[in-house]
Amino acid sequence: MTIAGAREGAMYGIRRAVAAAMARDLTAFVLPGPSVARSMGIDLANAHLRIVGTPRHANVLIIAGPLDVGLRDAAAVAYAQMPRPRTILALGAGDIAPLPDADVSAPLTQAGLHSELADLRRVVAAGAFRANTGEFTAAALEVRVEYTCPMHPEIVRDAPGDCPKCGMTLVPRETASNGHGGHGGHDMPREDRPNPADHAHAGHAHDAGGSGAYTCPMHPEVISDAPGKCPKCGMNLVKAEEVESHGPGHGHGHGGHGGHGKQQDHSGHDGHAGHGGHSKATIDGIEPHFMSMVELTEGQPRSSDGLQMDWIEVPFGPFFPGLPAGLRLTLTLDGDTVAASDARSLVCRAELVDGPQMTAGDFVERLAAMMPLGPVAYRTLACAAIEEAASADPGQDARRGRAAAVERERIASHLGWLAEFGTQSGFLWLAARAGALQLAVQGADIDGIAAQAGAIRALIRRVETAPLMRMRLGRIARIGTDAPASGPVDRARGGGADARTEDPTLKALGFEMCVREGGDALARLRLRCDEIAQSLDLIAAAGRIAVPQVPDVETVSGEGAATIETPRGAARLRVKLANGKVVEAELDTPTDVNIALVETVTAQRELGDALAAVASLDLSPWEVRG
Amino acid sequence: MSIVVVLLSLAAGAYALAVIERWAVHGHLSLTGPAWAALALLGRESLLARKSDRLFFELGPVLLLVAGLMAVAVIPLAPGLIITDLATGALFLNAALAYVLVALIMAGWGPNGAYAMIAGWRFLGQFIAYAMLIVMPITAVAMRAESLSTVEIVASQEQLWNVLYQPMGFILFVVAAMGLAWLPPLDLPDATGELAGGVEAEYTGVRLAVLRLARMVIILALAGATVTFYLGGWLGPWLPGWAWSAIKILAVAAAMLSVGRYMPRIREARYLALSWKLGISLALANIFVVGVIALVVPI
Repeated sequence: MTIAGAREGAMYGIRRAVAAAMARDLTAFVLPGPSVARSMGIDLANAHLRIVGTPRHANVLIIAGPLDVGLRDAAAVAYAQMPRPRTILALGAGDIAPLPDADVSAPLTQAGLHSELADLRRVVAAGAFRANTGEFTAAALEVRVEYTCPMHPEIVRDAPGDCPKCGMTLVPRETASNGHGGHGGHDMPREDRPNPADHAHAGHAHDAGGSGAYTCPMHPEVISDAPGKCPKCGMNLVKAEEVESHGPGHGHGHGGHGGHGKQQDHSGHDGHAGHGGHSKATIDGIEPHFMSMVELTEGQPRSSDGLQMDWIEVPFGPFFPGLPAGLRLTLTLDGDTVAASDARSLVCRAELVDGPQMTAGDFVERLAAMMPLGPVAYRTLACAAIEEAASADPGQDARRGRAAAVERERIASHLGWLAEFGTQSGFLWLAARAGALQLAVQGADIDGIAAQAGAIRALIRRVETAPLMRMRLGRIARIGTDAPASGPVDRARGGGADARTEDPTLKALGFEMCVREGGDALARLRLRCDEIAQSLDLIAAAGRIAVPQVPDVETVSGEGAATIETPRGAARLRVKLANGKVVEAELDTPTDVNIALVETVTAQRELGDALAAVASLDLSPWEVRG
Repeated sequence: MSIVVVLLSLAAGAYALAVIERWAVHGHLSLTGPAWAALALLGRESLLARKSDRLFFELGPVLLLVAGLMAVAVIPLAPGLIITDLATGALFLNAALAYVLVALIMAGWGPNGAYAMIAGWRFLGQFIAYAMLIVMPITAVAMRAESLSTVEIVASQEQLWNVLYQPMGFILFVVAAMGLAWLPPLDLPDATGELAGGVEAEYTGVRLAVLRLARMVIILALAGATVTFYLGGWLGPWLPGWAWSAIKILAVAAAMLSVGRYMPRIREARYLALSWKLGISLALANIFVVGVIALVVPI
């Protein structure tokens, strides 16, 4: 037995002991993320694994559920970053190319996970080392060397030669083979792979190219086409690129100069230079040109703290621990302050209706499968909209059962959010406890919920009284009442809407909208805790839980719409039936609304605060419109 | 002889801590787990980051280990059981641990990765928060002992342990020590949920093993310092001195490792503000109060 990612070397003596140790000590990096695995009912905490936050520290890549096409390149990068010997364990994953075939695979069940892990341990113990190992290169990380003129950056050639404009020898530089897209969740370079930051650096050389080939490290205004001495201070002139990399104002080129490319986009920050920045005219007692840093940074954007720092563009996600799985957050960091952010989903939803022959049953299953973080709510939504279109009435009992099923999902989803918050903020007790309760609640019947209610309420009390909590989340990511928002994000700012207020079934069960004041991340945490407690009451009042059945609409035609308050906010679905087939469907989701808030809540925040702010929105990238 | 005994106890202590850390972080209590994990780490590829600063990348973990070992050298485990009883032991401890900052910045800078680099610089900010709060409580401890020798400091607590004599200093020192060892909730430089491992993020294989071992040694050194300065070192009834030292050091280290499990990580800005505005005022007050007590009631 061998594994695709075996480490090179013959299996002998001490290596056998090492391989046996590796088989016992499995450390896993989970795709798309531990939270998604939990919402699919997989209990990783109970599998004698250690879950780690970076592929660098993992020796097994666990893929839970079908891997979305948009995540596959990033998955290949994560795999490429794992040190050998490395393995892949697939749970109901299907096609995972460009990743190599899984070393072990089974259907997506807890029993499948356990039997696979036993297999995996055997495979690793027997095949961790192999004489001939193949190379694996993630396509997204392949490098291409191209040649460019230091004076004329517009000249780019595939082969070495001279510049047609000035006759200088072209210099080599590396670029990604497919542009900047497709970097994995982790901006982690390796000897045989390019650092994503280098792309940015290459881009920077581009910007600087026009300024001349040689310059003085102290006097950047001195530019010469040939090497020589600076006329001002007599220092040796250096290549312009070196100044950019090693000049005192720029540090080391470390992490790249991505920010420079962004200057034009963010020139609005120049306004801050007035109070924060220096210019040679305002520094008393220092002779002009003394600090080249002042010169070098003049006119460049500054963040709110006024400090001139290197700007680096850092990708977070789609597998970043503590951010929603599937979300690619790109932060432009000015020091550790976020100067700009870009959030996009790599798992956008496709068209709801693919083909003219989609039956109501297919449609309901498709929508539920598209939303791994809220399948019950979306299933209920689809059924309700179809019933509306077909003018069918499921009956009072069914309505109550459905409402309770959605409330159960709300409890599980909010607990899952608490677990994610615990992971992100290092509150590991919360991460473990909330994760375990989420698994216990999800799919539980009415007695099961009642049995967990005490433990859940105890958890909520503990969360609200945890030390440092107010300090961590208070006044973070404040959202005013003018910005559009949905769900708990909306209701945590002293008002807002809840689709459940319109629902007579819930009204009969005693529903009243929960509201919290403040509009910050702390208010959102508390509101989610309130909603968990309220949902426990609602389920107890409903007395039954029933996931909706697909309504029987064999030959009906018509249009209908329904709105459901999913755990993340109101989702609205409009469907058109023709002869019992779904021919048109349109969906509005809460994440469509809330993802637009990312830029506001991260702007000018310290990195840790910015990540906490994004997490507090509880985005589901699967809900984002493609 | 002392050196061998101390180093052996250090190895045993580091292993015990690894067991405790696994329990605190991953929730598994396994006596053999760290042994398997260490062996597995040694068998894994130790990747060198592309375009890394090789010197910093290689030296960071080693310097961290050296700093920890130097600090351990002045921790007395029992009368006579100390590597070197310097007259300026308490000062030396502080000087040795100053290299933790250097090592972490090197380890963060070396691999040429954004997460690690940010983590390294974060620790520089953290240094500003904890540095004064390590030195100032030690000052008050030395005032009572009228010596900087760690052996003298333990002996000075014969009548009353410093944890009761100067409780404020004890609390400040423990919090600062947790900041120095970047333990949760002060684990800004390796915050898993924020920086995916931070300074550790690019290290794999043998280099990671060295980095983790160094961290354990530093935690032990700081727990040893806490016990020496505040909990009466080897002093205690019935059991021999070395046993008391071992029990106290492991208990302090276990507490420091697991307390962060029950609260979210602190925000860097708040940590700095609290350390300077509140911590330093309290540390000054502590020095003043200890000075007055030392003059008025000589115990």
